[in-house]
Amino acid sequence: MKPNRSLLPVTLARIAGPALLLCIICLGLIPRGFAADTAAWSIQVEPVTAEEGQLPPDFSMAIYEDLLAQLVKTGKFQQVYRSGDHQADGVPNLLVLHMTLLNFERGNQTQRAVTTVKGATKVQVHLKVSARDGNALVEKDVQGTVRFFGENLKATNALAKSIAETLRDASLPAPTAAKAAGQ
Amino acid sequence: MLIARATPRSCILLFLLPFSWICTSLFAQTANTANDSTAASGVRATHVLGLEGVKRNHHGTLTVQPSGLNFEAKGARSTIAIASIQDVFTGQDSRQTGGKVLTVAKMGVPYGGGRVLSLFSHEKVDSLTLEYRDANGALHGTVFTIPLGQAADLKKQLVALGAHASIPVESQPEKKDDGGNKQ
Repeated sequence: MKPNRSLLPVTLARIAGPALLLCIICLGLIPRGFAADTAAWSIQVEPVTAEEGQLPPDFSMAIYEDLLAQLVKTGKFQQVYRSGDHQADGVPNLLVLHMTLLNFERGNQTQRAVTTVKGATKVQVHLKVSARDGNALVEKDVQGTVRFFGENLKATNALAKSIAETLRDASLPAPTAAKAAGQ
Repeated sequence: MLIARATPRSCILLFLLPFSWICTSLFAQTANTANDSTAASGVRATHVLGLEGVKRNHHGTLTVQPSGLNFEAKGARSTIAIASIQDVFTGQDSRQTGGKVLTVAKMGVPYGGGRVLSLFSHEKVDSLTLEYRDANGALHGTVFTIPLGQAADLKKQLVALGAHASIPVESQPEKKDDGGNKQ
């Protein structure tokens, strides 16, 4: 007895349809569950503080702007505010991100292209995320480097990505719990 | 008669004389064009980061107008009001020319020939960094790269129109070869 081949696509559609639906539901639920615990926090980013002449202004601004873009990308925070933004004044669950320059080495793109091992640009900052009461929730030294290809300013993008990853992976307390601990 | 008496040395001199004259006139023409473009029709610039609504590494024209600093590119336009500018910085950097195409081509050259090419395919550029605040008081930063020697002129024009600059235009430190000084 020959199997009925005309039924094969129908059977496949019957199996694949619910499987696809299940996958979509799962993919939709995972990020929501992941972000739910800290979505109530908002964050305000302050520019890097450094002694005069230690960090060129273009690097300082590039770190600041890149970091804002990367923090929005993570989806971990309800709102990402810029330094001095009056809209952040009334926000109850606000974290403030401070960065202090630890080390800056300006490399040279031509040296990198010619030697491969020399001319790296490195930026290292001390990262501190604190609540309004000054209670530090995250503190870490983070570094951004450009070793092979790209312009010197690419190091700021690497640094911003590292900071955003650090904050994404950090386990922040629930806003109410943090307030109670501060009191 | 003259041709019959000409030695090889005088032939070379006869060739070099008009050649050097052409080269000199060409360079003079380029310098004049650069100065004129700064004053009247704006400066060719690359938007590195920071302007809202303008993509990164977009090429366009920077113009200083009484209303503010105007950046115009294909399909994008942005203006920073003079009154909102908190600080203006200029600097210098060195970068590889040719973009991704030349980078890939250099990788394909055998026996490390690409590295030798890198030695000659770099240029120095000026950077112009602006710090400004929007209507909510939020701090923004933007960085442009412009042809060498034109950033100081732009800064002068901005300061003359009332933009704030923490480092005066007159106090320009000597230019370093490694790039990275700020004014």
